[in-house]
Amino acid sequence: MFDSLMSRRHLLRAGAVSTTMSMSGILGKLAMAAEASKKKPKRSCILLWMNGGPSTIDMWDLKPGHENGGPYKEVNTTAPGLKISEHLPKIAMHGEQLAILRGMTTKEGDHARGTYLMRTGQLPGAAGIQYPSIGALVSKELGDPKAELPNFLSIAPQRFFAQEAFGPGFLGPVHAPLIVGENQAFNNNAQANMIDDALKVADLAKPKSIDDASAAVRLDLLREMQEDFASGRPGQMAKSHAAAYDRAIRLMQSDGSKIFDLSTEKDSLRDKYGRNLFGQGCLLARRLVEKNVPFVEVSLGNWDTHGQNFDQVKNLSTTLDAAWSSLMDDLKDRGLLETTTIVWMGEFGRTPKINQGKGRDHYPNAWSTVLAGGGIKGGQAIGKTSADGTTVEERPTTTLDMLATLCMALGIDYEKTNPSNVGRPIRIVDKPCNPITEVVA
Amino acid sequence: MLASLRLAAALAVVTIPATVFAADATPKVDPADAIAAIIDKHLSADWAARGVKPAAQTDDAEFVRRVYLDLIGRVPKAPETRDFIDDTNPRKRAALVEKLLTLPGHAGHFAAVTRAAWLPQTTTNFQLANAGFQFENWLRMRYRDNTPADEVVRRILTVPFTVNAQNAMNRFVQPMGNDPDNNTLVGFYQANEARAENLGSSVSRLFVGVRLECAQCHDHPFARYTREQFWEFAAFFAEMSPLPANRPSFVGPLEPQADKNRITITNTEKRVVARFFDGSSPEWSADRSPRQELAAWLTNPANPYFAQNAVNRMWAHFFGFGIQDPVDEPGDNNPPSHPQLLEDLGKAFVDAKFDNRALMRGITRSQAYQLSSKMTHPSQSDPKRFAKMSLKGLTPAQLFDSMVAATGHREPGFMRQNQFNFNQQPNNPRSAFLNRFASNEKATEANTTILQALMLMNGQFITDVTSIEKGEVLGAIVDVPGWDTKQRITALFVTTFARNPSPEELEKFTSYVDRGGATNDKKKALADVFWVLLNSPEFLFNH
Repeated sequence: MFDSLMSRRHLLRAGAVSTTMSMSGILGKLAMAAEASKKKPKRSCILLWMNGGPSTIDMWDLKPGHENGGPYKEVNTTAPGLKISEHLPKIAMHGEQLAILRGMTTKEGDHARGTYLMRTGQLPGAAGIQYPSIGALVSKELGDPKAELPNFLSIAPQRFFAQEAFGPGFLGPVHAPLIVGENQAFNNNAQANMIDDALKVADLAKPKSIDDASAAVRLDLLREMQEDFASGRPGQMAKSHAAAYDRAIRLMQSDGSKIFDLSTEKDSLRDKYGRNLFGQGCLLARRLVEKNVPFVEVSLGNWDTHGQNFDQVKNLSTTLDAAWSSLMDDLKDRGLLETTTIVWMGEFGRTPKINQGKGRDHYPNAWSTVLAGGGIKGGQAIGKTSADGTTVEERPTTTLDMLATLCMALGIDYEKTNPSNVGRPIRIVDKPCNPITEVVA
Repeated sequence: MLASLRLAAALAVVTIPATVFAADATPKVDPADAIAAIIDKHLSADWAARGVKPAAQTDDAEFVRRVYLDLIGRVPKAPETRDFIDDTNPRKRAALVEKLLTLPGHAGHFAAVTRAAWLPQTTTNFQLANAGFQFENWLRMRYRDNTPADEVVRRILTVPFTVNAQNAMNRFVQPMGNDPDNNTLVGFYQANEARAENLGSSVSRLFVGVRLECAQCHDHPFARYTREQFWEFAAFFAEMSPLPANRPSFVGPLEPQADKNRITITNTEKRVVARFFDGSSPEWSADRSPRQELAAWLTNPANPYFAQNAVNRMWAHFFGFGIQDPVDEPGDNNPPSHPQLLEDLGKAFVDAKFDNRALMRGITRSQAYQLSSKMTHPSQSDPKRFAKMSLKGLTPAQLFDSMVAATGHREPGFMRQNQFNFNQQPNNPRSAFLNRFASNEKATEANTTILQALMLMNGQFITDVTSIEKGEVLGAIVDVPGWDTKQRITALFVTTFARNPSPEELEKFTSYVDRGGATNDKKKALADVFWVLLNSPEFLFNH
């Protein structure tokens, strides 16, 4: 290492620098690292995050005939006896994949706190322990630190209320999500080209004004400055700086960047997912899972339906239906559904009682989440709410129960601990938790 | 005899120059010098006892960069660096600190850092953003005026308000009285969701240095705090919660505070009365509210917790690690690295009447603060011995302000207003940096992310400031007539690193530029050098 450094310096000093040599220097090393990181496919998780609190009583646990039920009808799914909303007809064709948790009962009806709770398993303390998002936890457990692509991707998040709920917390930025699509996340009328641009990694392309030869020399010179600085100042920070640059350069120069270019997909397939940010985001999620990214989340917003709930939920369901069903078809076609666990959830459900504006308000007491795909025994609903939908009558399921179940499906030991920012070791999923073993395949 | 001496001394004041008066029998020691002396005494004794060989003293270049970053939140501009290095005043380091303390950037930087520590939720929760802005503005005025630390906390803790708890999900804190600052100060309570338990844990953590919230749900696993103690402390904020229904009159006369100092422990029937966690209780009276009692106890000079916590947090600001570290986790498993130093500094801070600037002056005058970050002996490797300076990451604002200082980027005033790291404004590079570099990590554990690296390598801002056409400082350095390449390289080093290049660096980069870089274009080669320096850890860290 030192020898090669000296020789490069010597070349520079002697004015004999060859750009092909320096290219091969840094690129060669990176290519080798990328090669070494190719392993057999691992388990992945795709989180479909419903920002705003989805009206699960109008999707997964309908109450037809009751005054709380609203106008939607139930339809059969491919799983005997399992019924869902008529506005999710394509997902209904995947009934045997779905485990609907109808007994969710959680503690928070506030957007920020509920988001934090569902994504970390914990309530936010006033700047106390910085809990990691479930994506960061999975990144740490299942991710390959040397992989070409980051181990946690967040597509079109709306971090409006609770930025920390999307972050790595005490696990540190190594497990922070690589975020794409955020700048169009609130644009409901984004045009196709805007969506394509939004789903690319920011600043991934080298500026056009810089030619390849200069760019390569810059990186070599930078590497020398990094090594000089770190040599007198050992420690994590300088290492992390060098590692981030390595990974960024690897991403720029590898096939990694092509993953984010959706134009290589067939138009017919892209249409099937839906030409909207969520649909195309789900397509990107499939491409990322194909490359062994262990955790990808795709956000769909506008679920905060305090007024005109039924018009909005119908539209949102249609968007969700096309994207999610295509995702499952696509994963299945590629043999990836068995190793990919899909989790669908928001921060809470909505009031069974319909308000005067034909809306539903925040309701954490009784609602649903859905697990599907790899590691999940589908075709069933677990838990039961009362006839009016207001209380859970069977198998009450807490946030921690649900997260522990997800971990089991992913093959993660949820009792394992990580050191936290306060020194105390913290479990991946804290006690008390009671995973729903009957849905784990 | 004594009387005549006094008389002589009094006469001396009139007739003898003041410098001699300073050598009076009870010399008036600058509190900052006293603080520096305490630090030097304890640390040098500790080093000697442990066989630690401290790192070399900083040269002027390393010092000037560090002290600009720590006190005003950006690196020095090239002329500022040169002025300092060329200054022959033997007390120039203290003089520089004095100058920096008067700059608006000082109050701005400390206000931002304090807000991020006290109300981090206001930078991530959009609903609280405005409360955070206002609170930071208020803090800026406090740092500008050097308001004593005890007074700042008393103002926060005693602001008069009422709580509207009709909406259980979203309690509203309504300020009372005519002081416009009250509108701002209630933001502290609003950001803590107007919940007694949140305020109890925040106040205990921020102003006492004790993290009680683990005891919110169960007895503290390591320290001695029990669940009951947590709720007794939270009970000082019991007025945040709706009061129970009026008691029937036959129960007897009410206590002086009625129920305003009592709280029910969540998920229990148990009601506890406010009590300090050292076990003492206020003498309750009808005319002093529980919050007033708490503020008085907390900021009483005889209370060692308050001063030691304030000193420790200030220490951590400058050194990256607290003497007690984490700063809010005291306990048997986490003893302070230098308990006597912490105690003596706490006393000195009380003696200095909680004067923040005296503390800043004292710390920056100490030998330890002026040590290099470059490790020269294995005994310096434990950061808690303070035998070399620890590396610190830059806050997002520090980074962007340093970018501006180093590159000469001209930032329109309205873009500077963007302080909120969530709401990204299009085409505002400050906003883009604040978003991309937002972090809640400890300064000494700052990690770099892939997206940050990509932005620093390929982003529009960096591309512009390292282009010969658009970069202000780069364009000037490239175009200065009559300079040779060595002078241009040197100027690039001074503006980014606040130091001259080493002979080896000078030779390497000069040779690179003189042969035209990779594309046979000397100007472009200079741009390459500038890009490399701006992406280097030496620029991106405080060292």
